[in-house]
Amino acid sequence: MLTNVKLGKNMRSVSIVGIGATPFFNGVENPTYKGLTNGELFGYAALDAMKDAGVEPRDVQFFFHGCANPHVMDNCITPNLQVADWFGMRGKGSLSHSEGCCTGYIALEEAVFAVASGAYDIVLTGCCDQGTGMPDGNTPAMYRVPLTAEVLFPDLDSIFDRAYGRYLGGGPGMNHDDWINLYAHENGLSADQIDDVLNHQAYHFRRNATLCERAIRRKPYDEMAKEAGYDDVWEYMKSPYNPKMSQYLRTSSDSCVADGAAACIVVPTEIAKQFNPKPIEVLGCGASVLDAIVPHLEKKATAEAARQVYELTGLTGDDIDLLFVNDFIGSSAFLAAEEVGYLPKGEGWKYVLDGRLAYDGDKPMNTNGGRTSYGHAFGTSGMADIFEAVTQMRGDAGDRQIKKLPKHTFLRGFGGAQNVRAIILEANY
Amino acid sequence: MSTEKIKIKTEDFWNREHVVEKFWNGLREGVIYARKCKECGAIEFPPHHACNTCGYHETEWTTLKGTGILKSFVFTGVLNARLELEDRGLKYVCGEVQFDEGPAINAVILGINRKKARLIQPKLPVRVKPVFYDMGRYTTLFFEVDEEA
Repeated sequence: MLTNVKLGKNMRSVSIVGIGATPFFNGVENPTYKGLTNGELFGYAALDAMKDAGVEPRDVQFFFHGCANPHVMDNCITPNLQVADWFGMRGKGSLSHSEGCCTGYIALEEAVFAVASGAYDIVLTGCCDQGTGMPDGNTPAMYRVPLTAEVLFPDLDSIFDRAYGRYLGGGPGMNHDDWINLYAHENGLSADQIDDVLNHQAYHFRRNATLCERAIRRKPYDEMAKEAGYDDVWEYMKSPYNPKMSQYLRTSSDSCVADGAAACIVVPTEIAKQFNPKPIEVLGCGASVLDAIVPHLEKKATAEAARQVYELTGLTGDDIDLLFVNDFIGSSAFLAAEEVGYLPKGEGWKYVLDGRLAYDGDKPMNTNGGRTSYGHAFGTSGMADIFEAVTQMRGDAGDRQIKKLPKHTFLRGFGGAQNVRAIILEANY
Repeated sequence: MSTEKIKIKTEDFWNREHVVEKFWNGLREGVIYARKCKECGAIEFPPHHACNTCGYHETEWTTLKGTGILKSFVFTGVLNARLELEDRGLKYVCGEVQFDEGPAINAVILGINRKKARLIQPKLPVRVKPVFYDMGRYTTLFFEVDEEA
């Protein structure tokens, strides 16, 4: 792969001035949320973001709709035009996009481009995925049934290269454990040590989610252990209640599928304070994309995307106060934290064991709980991370507010086997 | 307007190579096709139009022996099992294979169970050779450890 991209400065700076998000939930089992549709959910998140920015739908000029898989999960291929009427944007320009589980981060990148170019001044960008269900036949959108493994698993292969990689077979099989396997061997860690590290990471991310009202899994592991008859939570984490799903990952390090929507409003930084007294500037976005046939693709693409955005901004990992990593593969969290310089190389696993990545630690990350506890509404997860990042940077995160009000937040987007983005936000107030 | 005005047929105007078809047809014959960069000489595998090593636009056909080294591997589980291999009852791992000619890919390595994996792991990298595996409608390229190497 080539690593010769040098990002240029945007034509004008862009800031986030409004955010909105639904909780992440199970839309086919939770009676409170059962029956809500993509248009309604996206609409609620969009209108909340507009309210937060102090604008009405009439003021917004263009919007982006992101969804990881609108065809299978919602039986549509142009969701932008199917949701526009829900939040008063009938007839205005919009765009659907779908980049697997990286969709939410690219949603911000696209909106920034739209404003930075000078084409638009007020842009809405959001995502909505209903990952727990699928349409119940050819019926109105409120009728949904559980998304079955028989439908989901074969369809997941559609993220892998159909010309070659899917049928040569190795890439899809390496997807989950390649990086942690490499890390274990490079750092001389045994399988038991890696197990401990991943269990501790899941435990502390659940502590974050317990304090996050929008998370889908909030019950602390200590409580779950006691209910299962274990006095020692670490014994529980290695028990059949938390079985291995791959060579290294237990269910606690696997994402929890969810439904949900999230959105934000971006405007030129020069007028941002007209909309919100605490604008969050998007300093830059690095990008790298590698197909799963490439060995160690997640490590390589993360390093390249981070290199681009650090070169653009002049910042380093030492300048980052808060980190979000799309960790639907649980091990990605601390591995990516090392790769982007947030944690020292080869030492991240010690930070995990010491609980230093939790909201109350000195290297906080995934303060909403991440994919394993906040939940994973596929394409929407990235936008939910942006919602949480802005919330923390405004100092509005309540009980899970990190100790130091973050000046800089780094988001590592990942998904679709695999798109990677590296975004840096700056509190500009 | 009549078709007599047509001076050149579309298929004569634009008739380019079928790269993917050639690759898979080659595996059926036991031939591993790749492309070689006409500028830097890097091997592009599987074959694509341009070079992903140096970014030059032109490559030419070459073939690979299919031998190389297995550098690392993982087992699959519920999350990432290859259903088409499980259905056939195959013992396999997925790992990084580097061809002797240079390029490396994530590949399937057949014939490795947990016991054999314990023997191989400390010896990595180990030599591998190609297995042209008939999947029914197509033949694919897997690998196996070369015990004689």
